[in-house]
Amino acid sequence: MNAEQLQRLGTQLEALLLASDEPLTMARMRGVFGEGVHSSDLREAIAALEAFYQDRGIQIIQVAGGWQFRTAPEHADMIQHLWEIRPQKLSRSAMETLAIIAYRQPTTRAEIEALRGVKISSQMVATLQERGWVKVLGRKEVPGRPYLLGTGKQFLVDFGLDSLKDLPDSAQLIDEDEIQQMVMGSIQEHDYEEEADTENPHQNERREARG
Amino acid sequence: MNQAVQAELITHETTPHALPPVQLDQFEGPLDVLLHLIRSQAMDIFDIPMAMITAQYLEILEAQQEMDLEVAGDYLVMASTLMQLKSRMLLPRPEIDEEGNEIDPRAELAAQLLAYEQYRMLAEELNELPRLGRDVFVRCIFPEAKDVQRPLPEADLDALLMAFRAVLKRVGGEVRHRIFTETMSVRERMATVLERLRKGGIGLDELLADEPGREALVTTVLAILELWRQQMISVVQSEALGAITLLPKEAVE
Repeated sequence: MNAEQLQRLGTQLEALLLASDEPLTMARMRGVFGEGVHSSDLREAIAALEAFYQDRGIQIIQVAGGWQFRTAPEHADMIQHLWEIRPQKLSRSAMETLAIIAYRQPTTRAEIEALRGVKISSQMVATLQERGWVKVLGRKEVPGRPYLLGTGKQFLVDFGLDSLKDLPDSAQLIDEDEIQQMVMGSIQEHDYEEEADTENPHQNERREARG
Repeated sequence: MNQAVQAELITHETTPHALPPVQLDQFEGPLDVLLHLIRSQAMDIFDIPMAMITAQYLEILEAQQEMDLEVAGDYLVMASTLMQLKSRMLLPRPEIDEEGNEIDPRAELAAQLLAYEQYRMLAEELNELPRLGRDVFVRCIFPEAKDVQRPLPEADLDALLMAFRAVLKRVGGEVRHRIFTETMSVRERMATVLERLRKGGIGLDELLADEPGREALVTTVLAILELWRQQMISVVQSEALGAITLLPKEAVE
């Protein structure tokens, strides 16, 4: 595909992106253009568009496996003036629950409660489900067969993630075993320190017993 | 004898710290409170001073006048866990695991706190992502307002008449109702059925056997239903899916 054709493909994609109600996936684009246009051409044209819109009021964002026009985040406050109603703020507990579900999926309500140290209200899970952020993936085959919770597609769309791999810091997530090792290691260090410490309760006890 | 030991321990741990007053409803649960206490006083999470943290935790709990019973439960469970840990640490003999290592009773709590802290941080990061409908917007997103005005299209009589005329023109100016005469009368059929039942009960199959055509069949069935509804006949079926028999009312009585 020569430069001129690529340019034309770019303008076509631009139009498609504006007209599409949801993130436009590669499969949809290929469906529109048919066999004649290769994925590599599409990618090249999208990359050019992305570069073009980089410093504009709207941007092309890769989200939930597709591409979508979105306003630049820095204009949020101004845009809000268009509407009387502000978006509802999410409670910290809802965010924490959502974070645990997102990073640990599939997970159960009991697991979330154990991690947060508080009961999770059904109301909150229902709210997260209503927004399409959380969905039931199945049931865990343990007594009581609790629901396994995970995130839905709307979660990716609303949080501007292309896939779950794009969750912030997911690579640095420490799992239970690692935390356990960390804790055991650090506590053992402290024990050695305490051996020399006369304030050690065990030593006190021994001293008492002798006296 | 233990009193002296405990007193020494407690004075050792409770170095006076002026904590800024906090409200329980600022927190997302007992772990959140503990993390706040630990981090704000730069305590070592692997070596939590149990006496001190327990005292501070209980202080915050007591400052709360009213507590939702469900929420209170979680906080009280933690309070008892803290006190249990504190007392386990006072045991003369350290607890030992299968491999002979000393068990620090606080290990589990430390792990729980670290795990929670991690997700608390991730929740914040998640919250900071540019969110659709809050920070970023897509074309033609409507706020979730019920009072969005969608004006009805302007209409006037002329337009209505024009439209009507157009319709008339399309159907060729002729609008006719066609009325079909009823060839079968339910009433008439009712009389016929009653007549036939006068000699006694009759099977439904038998009654319908000599009806000419679908229309007659339907009319007869309607007639039977109507007679039944008016309790002029009885309909009997001795077994499920068995033969249905019609009886004149007198015969039943």
